[in-house]
Amino acid sequence: MPAMSEQERRPEDDGRDFANAAWSIPSYILSGIILYGGGGWLLSRWTGVAVFTPIGVIVGVVLAIYLVYRKYGR
Amino acid sequence: MKALTVLAADEFKAPGLELFELPPIISGVTWFTKPVLLALLSSLVVVLFCWSAFGNPKLVPRGIQNVGEYGYMFVRDQVARPFLGKDADRWMGLLLSLFFMVWVWNLMGVIPFLQFPVASHIAFPIVLAGTVYLIKIYLGMKHQGPIGYFKNMMFPPGLPKGIYVLLAPIELLSNMIVAPFTHAVRLFANMFAGHIILAFFSAVGFWFLFEKLTPLGAPVGIVSVVMAIAMTGLELFIQFLQAFLFALLAAMYIGNSLHAEH
Repeated sequence: MPAMSEQERRPEDDGRDFANAAWSIPSYILSGIILYGGGGWLLSRWTGVAVFTPIGVIVGVVLAIYLVYRKYGR
Repeated sequence: MKALTVLAADEFKAPGLELFELPPIISGVTWFTKPVLLALLSSLVVVLFCWSAFGNPKLVPRGIQNVGEYGYMFVRDQVARPFLGKDADRWMGLLLSLFFMVWVWNLMGVIPFLQFPVASHIAFPIVLAGTVYLIKIYLGMKHQGPIGYFKNMMFPPGLPKGIYVLLAPIELLSNMIVAPFTHAVRLFANMFAGHIILAFFSAVGFWFLFEKLTPLGAPVGIVSVVMAIAMTGLELFIQFLQAFLFALLAAMYIGNSLHAEH
């Protein structure tokens, strides 16, 4: 029942999608950084290899942007 | 800041956190401080305004009803309808109250003698953002089912299967923790920083024009006073913008709970 079916989709939803995307991006990117940057930081601590932290941060940002792109981009 | 301290040999002290540490108004009643008083006053202002604007509406609006309807139309067309569509009217009560409440809180920062933005104590935005957060979760579970809500949130359709393992945690963290957190912090930080900036330029102006008036210092004082006035103008704009954003994000969260994103 939950997900909106195709017929229910109205033209104004496109505007809503755009606004949703615009206001969700910072929150997603921040979440990506916290999650994967945090994971990278932990990995760095355990292994002693410092480079995992920046890699984690970048992976988090990329994943967050990819998520926004797939959800709202088309 | 350092340079200024050196210039004014006997200790110019830039205003800092002590601006926000206010003593109780009645000694002994520790919870009753200036921000609490201003928050109560703001509620009264909003209630009285809405009462006089909408309490006895005329077909052809005049005076305060006109002002009220402008505010209502602004919130409806810019905040509610873009995110809530046909549900907009049902949520106008909450969104209009939120918008006016936050705006009046913020305006308290520039009203002479009151001069304290209520939201610069983070407890106040937390209460509002927390309320919106509870409404959002309640509506999501009601309209999409307790499991469906989290399923729709964490597994938006249209993504390749394997990638969900990586993206679902981002969705969960973003929607459940980061979004409500930034909702409150955005308002708090803007008001907090704005208050410090205004206090700083006023303090520098006062120092160089009244406390330590010197030929070299006077121009600095004048620039500072001009800056204080300019920054007050900017603050007025930011205060409105933050109230608008706060209501807008509330509408967005509610809208996404009523209908799953797709």
